[in-house]
Parts: sequence; C-alpha cells; structure tokens
Amino acid sequence: MLGWGVDRLRADMSRLLAILFHQGVLDEQFLQLQQLQDESSPNFVSEVVNIYFHESEKLLRNLRGLLLDREFSDYKKMGIHLNQFMGSSSSIGANRVRNVCVAFRAASEQNNRAGCLRALELLEHEYCYLKNKLHELFQMEQQRVLAAGARYPLQQQQH
Amino acid sequence: MAAFQRVASSLSTSASSYGSCKDAGADVTVSDQFPAGLRVLVVDDDITCLRLLEKMLCRCLYHVTTCSQATAALKLLRERKGYFDVVLSDVHMPDMDGFKLLELVGLEMDLPVIMMSADGRTSAVMRGIRHGACDYLIKPIREEELKNIWQHVIRKKWNENKEQEHSGSFEDNDCYKQGNDDIENASSVNEGGEEGVLKGQKKRNIAKEEDDNELENDDPSASKKPRVVWSVELHQQFVSAVNQLGIDKAVPKRILELMNVPGLTRENVASHLQKFRLYLKRLSGVAQQGGISNTFCGLMDSNVKVNPFGRFDIQTLDASGQIPPQTLAALHAELFGRPTGSLVTAVDQPALLQASMQGPKCIPVEHGVAFGQPLVKCQSNISKHFPRNVISFEDVASGFGAWPSNSNGTVGPSSNLGGMNGQNSNMLMDILQQQKQQQQSQQQSPLPEPSRSINVQPSCLVVPSQSSATFQAGNSHASVDHNCSYNRSAMIDYSLLSPQLNNSSLNIGQISNGDLKTTSVSGYSGSVSISPLSPCSVNPDNTSQQGRSSTMAIQVGRQLPGFVPNISNFQGSYSAKSSEVLDQRPLRNLGFTGECTSIPSWLAVDEFESTMRNLDHEKFYMDISGNKVKQEPSIEFVDNARVGIPILQQLPPSPSDLMSVCTE
Repeated sequence: MLGWGVDRLRADMSRLLAILFHQGVLDEQFLQLQQLQDESSPNFVSEVVNIYFHESEKLLRNLRGLLLDREFSDYKKMGIHLNQFMGSSSSIGANRVRNVCVAFRAASEQNNRAGCLRALELLEHEYCYLKNKLHELFQMEQQRVLAAGARYPLQQQQH
Repeated sequence: MAAFQRVASSLSTSASSYGSCKDAGADVTVSDQFPAGLRVLVVDDDITCLRLLEKMLCRCLYHVTTCSQATAALKLLRERKGYFDVVLSDVHMPDMDGFKLLELVGLEMDLPVIMMSADGRTSAVMRGIRHGACDYLIKPIREEELKNIWQHVIRKKWNENKEQEHSGSFEDNDCYKQGNDDIENASSVNEGGEEGVLKGQKKRNIAKEEDDNELENDDPSASKKPRVVWSVELHQQFVSAVNQLGIDKAVPKRILELMNVPGLTRENVASHLQKFRLYLKRLSGVAQQGGISNTFCGLMDSNVKVNPFGRFDIQTLDASGQIPPQTLAALHAELFGRPTGSLVTAVDQPALLQASMQGPKCIPVEHGVAFGQPLVKCQSNISKHFPRNVISFEDVASGFGAWPSNSNGTVGPSSNLGGMNGQNSNMLMDILQQQKQQQQSQQQSPLPEPSRSINVQPSCLVVPSQSSATFQAGNSHASVDHNCSYNRSAMIDYSLLSPQLNNSSLNIGQISNGDLKTTSVSGYSGSVSISPLSPCSVNPDNTSQQGRSSTMAIQVGRQLPGFVPNISNFQGSYSAKSSEVLDQRPLRNLGFTGECTSIPSWLAVDEFESTMRNLDHEKFYMDISGNKVKQEPSIEFVDNARVGIPILQQLPPSPSDLMSVCTE
C-alpha cells in the first residue's frame, strides 16, 4: 500500500536522521536548513547540499593537492581553503566535518605537515561518511515523495 | 510589534527611498512594513553560504542581491549608488580581502557593512571591529541574526541626523559615559530603537553609539554637504580654539567664531568637537585601573570606548577617516608645542591621573603618547610582535598599541612611548589640567609609574620586548574546538611570550579570550611567571621555541586536554628538554582531535601542552582511534606543570563515535 510505504519511509528517514544527530554528524543547523525549505523552494535542502558537495570536493582536492606537493609550504593558503570548508560545513550543519576542519586548521597553523595529512585523511573520511548518509536520506526522501505523490499531495519535509 | 510600529512610524520614509533621511530632527523615516524591503547585498565566495543567506534573507522579507566576488560587488555598488541599504560580506575572499571591501564601501558609499566569517576567534572579530564593521557574524549564521541587521541601517542614519540636529549642545561631558545600552543591544532592538528615537536629544546616545558601533562614523554633513576634511591646519586651529575656551566651555558656536574659517559650519565643528571629546575621554580612560575586568574580552567590550591606548582611538579615528594621522600628529604638536607654564613631569602630575572614565580628566603619562605618529610606529612594532596567529592578541595588541607590561620589561612599544612620555605628558597634562581644573578639583590618583600604565590587564598581558621572530616560528594553535566558549578568565596568553624573556617577569595573569574558539598554544618560549601558577624555571637549554613553550605550558598548569583520552596518558611524555624535539619538530597536532567537540576554554592551554608533548617525539603518535600512542619518557616537569591540573575529562561522545566510524 502506498500510504504504508510513505509512513515507513518517513520512519526510516527519521531514524536515520536521529542516528546522524546522535553521532554528531549533523547538528541543529541542519534543522534550520530543513526549515528553509518551503513551497517556493521545495528542493532547497538537496539543492544546497549538492552545492556543498560540489564545492567541498573541490576544496578537498585542493587541499590534497597542496599537501601532497613535496615543496608545500603555503599553509596560509591551506588555511583559507579550510576556512571556507569550515564555513560551509557549519552552515549546513555538518558538525563533525567542521570539527575536523578546526583541528586541521590548528595543525596548519603550526605548520605541522604530518598533522595536516592526518587531518586531511580524517576529513575525507568524515566527508565521505556524511555524503553517503545524506545521499541515503535524499533517496529515501525521493521515494517517499514518489510514494506520497501517487496518492497524497506533495508533503513538505517536516522535522 | 507595537514597539516596532512606533519606531517605524517615527521613522518614516517611503520604502523606495529607504536611504534618504529627512532633515527634520531625529526622523529617519521608513515604511510601515519596515524592515521589510531592506535592500541587502551579500558577498561571499562560498556558494553554499551564499545560497543559504539568500534564502534566509528572503525569509526576512529583505530584498536580496548576491555576489560571489568582491570586485563584482563593488562594481555593483558603484553603479547603483543609493540602491543598497546594507552590505553583508565574508571576510576571506579570493579576489579581495573582505576588510578592504569594507573600507571601500564605507568610504565611497557609506553603507553599513556587516562582516561574516567562519573564524570566530576573538582576534578575528577584533579585526572586524577595528576596520569599522558594523557587526561581525560568525558562521553558521542563523536566521534570527539576519533579522536584526536592519538596526545597523537605522542606527547609522539616525546618528547622522542626530548629529546634525544636536550638534550644538555638547556642554555636558558626563553624559558621554552613559551609553544607551539599549540601542546597541541586539536582542532588544525594538526597544532600543525606540528609545533611541525617543531620547533623540541626548548626546549620550550619539556618543555611545558612535563609540561602540560606528567606528566609521561619518561626518553628519556628509549626506547633505560635501564632507569637510579636517586638515592638519584646520585641526590645529580647532584645537587652539578649544584650548583657548577651555575644553568644557568649548561650544561649537564659539569655536567656530574663534576659528574664523569661512565655509565651516557650526555642524562641522560640532561633530568634530564631539569626536575630539570622545577621543580625550578614551585617553583618560587609560588611567582606569580598577574598573577593568580581568578578561580581555571584558576589556575589549567594556572599554572599547575608553581604550587606554590612544592608539586605538587614533586608529579608529584614522579608520573613520576623520582625523588623518598627520592631523593627529599636528594635534600633538599643537598640544605639546605650547609652551607650558606648568611643565611637570608625569610623576608630578598626580592630578592628571584619574581613574574615572569620565570626561577628559587626565591622561596617564604613558598614554599621553597616544597621539599620532609615535603611536603609529609603536603599532607597527607591536604588530611585529604579534603575528597573526597570536591568540586573541594580535589585533588587540596592535590595536592597543603598547600594553605596558607590568613593571617589568616594558615592551618595545611601550619603550617608544616612554620616550615620548616626558614631553607629551607635559603638554597633555597642561591641556588636561585646564579641563580638570575647570571641571573638578579633586580626585587625583597619583600617577602610576610609567611602567604600570594600564594595570588593567597588566597581569594578563605581557608584551614581549623581543622581536617577533619567535612568534612567527612558534605560532601554533591547537585548535580546541569551535564550540568552546572561552569565558574563562584564567587563560594565559601565550602569544606574549618570547624566547628571550628569561628574565622578564611577564606576569601572565589571565588571558581570557571571550570567544576563543580555537586557541593556539604554540611554541612560545620564555620564562613566564604565570600567576597563579608558581613560577617555573626556564630551561636555559631550550633552544627552540617549542621547547620553551613547553616549559611555559607546563607552568600554566591547566593542562591536559581531556578531550583526548590518550593524551592523558601522555603526561609522562612531556619533555621540557630541548634535547630532541624541539628543534624543528612541527608541533604535533593534537588537533586531530576532531574528536573533541567541546573543550572548555581553558583547555586551550592544554592543547598547547599536549602539543608540546607531541613535540618531543616523532614517535609520539596520536592515532585517531586513540589507541596507539607511544610515548617517550624523559620528561621533565617543571613543578606544577603537571597534571595536577584539572583535566577536563569531559570527553564529548564524538571520539567514540569517530572511532566507530573509523572502524566501520
């Protein structure tokens, strides 16, 4: 039954979100993001998150490029990338990613290359985890919308 | 909402001509739907944030324009002058520094500019303030914060009008000290706005607002007439007129008469006088000893307007473009050049010192220096001493010129100041004498010794007299956590330590960084006696800064970042020896404790410590899983460095989470 599918999907989504919050992967800023979604921008969350992914991957590539360079010494530049990464991550509620950025920034300010490398690994790890989970969430949402749309009017994501 | 309406109605303007102000009194007029329709320009190179902000601002019913490049934004602003009401800009942008944009916008279009950044460190925020930002928002930005940005527009307009209207009645010095806190209080904007409007006639509002908010306050006549440039000569004339009349009898009308400059209006003089008074007041505030809080933050916040260091004022004034450095220098020349019958050394002028913050009563000798060029020099010295990364002091330090260290090594800058002291103080004293005599006949706290200028923070702030080289090398910031709220007053400012400070008694009492979100503890070296910690001996063989800093860190006594459980195991591995490590070991960074999500402020120190620990040994690993950490023995603790410190055991759950993630 479609209705039942919708409810179950919604429950699954809630559960996933709860886990993510509990793990600290997301924080309340994500809720704010969700609240910004409305009739005038029904896909706001996924739109912004996709922008975030796109930009973040660029940043991560830059960071990796900088660090892997043997003659790397431009910590300042790295700091700038980090700053941006931190800003966007915190703005969408990617709490753990942001925290790793903070640590990463500390390492870079100390010109600690090894530390930076480690932080970068951790950062990539956290980022991947976040991305996977959010994709999962969006997929569920899509399914839910489809299922709901078949029978009920499009409902807003409520949280 | 009712209050809101009242404000709205008392400020009435058509929605379209938002920027125009009526000349009639305190009336800045806005539409009834105010603040809806506020025209905002957002500049941020981060598209994610840009999109978010756009959406949030739309929600606030503002009219939003976004720009991802500063140069494009500037172009837009120039093309459509008067089209925007407020600008929101990120600090770090690739094509142009946000602060540069801020300055340009302030100069060319005179719009309120609000800065944003992910970097919420006190130092960064301080920079924003110094550059004249109306506000500084820290990412992530919430919608509620954006809802309030209209207050900056109103305040600015209102101030301009106020100045024009009430430029005549500046007799009362004392009212300056009372600010209208409501107005600046973001959380009660409505009330504040209303009160501000209703209280219109009070200079105190203007003074306070100017003081606290509008560092880049513009000439009130700017909106109506060509801005008057207070050149050196003009300012000299002004000052001599003021001196002639006596600072408390100096009313714009009489000053104008005395100056006898064609084309100068009473309003121009009035606003200039107001600024001058504020300036003097700030200088006099230097003598303040007791009223200053222990924390830097407190100092910053509460004393922004009574900044003991004239330099800050100068900067401010400079930034505002109102009093160019040459003018200030001229001012000094003017003040000091006057032959004074009452030449007195600083020491003999107890009268001048006044701890009160009211009015220009006295100027402490050291701070007499706070004029113009010498300060500028000092500043540059200071900035050398305080490289960017210094915790919270970089800007403070540079902004505040020399913080005389307490009785010990005076800092480089302060020594510069010292040089001027004698002369300046005499002149200044002279002027102040006048005022003081006219105003009060009492309270004269004896002049503190020059070396003790501001004891405010003296115990807290230590300014190394050595070059900054050490800092630069050693600056490392252990990032504690973004969320830490550093309200502790018992923090130590490492930044002030320099390697050669073996003998200088830097009393590092407290350093508090109100919002140090990330603190860095780095290779500061030097022997520092940190109160309340018992002094530790410095290892003379510590050659590298890091080594020293480790010593230092130990002394701090706070230590161990509890956030990393492993670290607690490492206490033993802390080595104060220079032998290995230190040399160019990059500071190991504890940072990867992405694990720590919340670390209390004082952990900042701890970070340092753990860093130091890590420093020693390459073999010292901090594995993410937190399991394998090797340590090397051979640690020498100096006294209490130990972990007698309350280690903060509050490990946030995340470490374990992280670990599980890692092991997934």
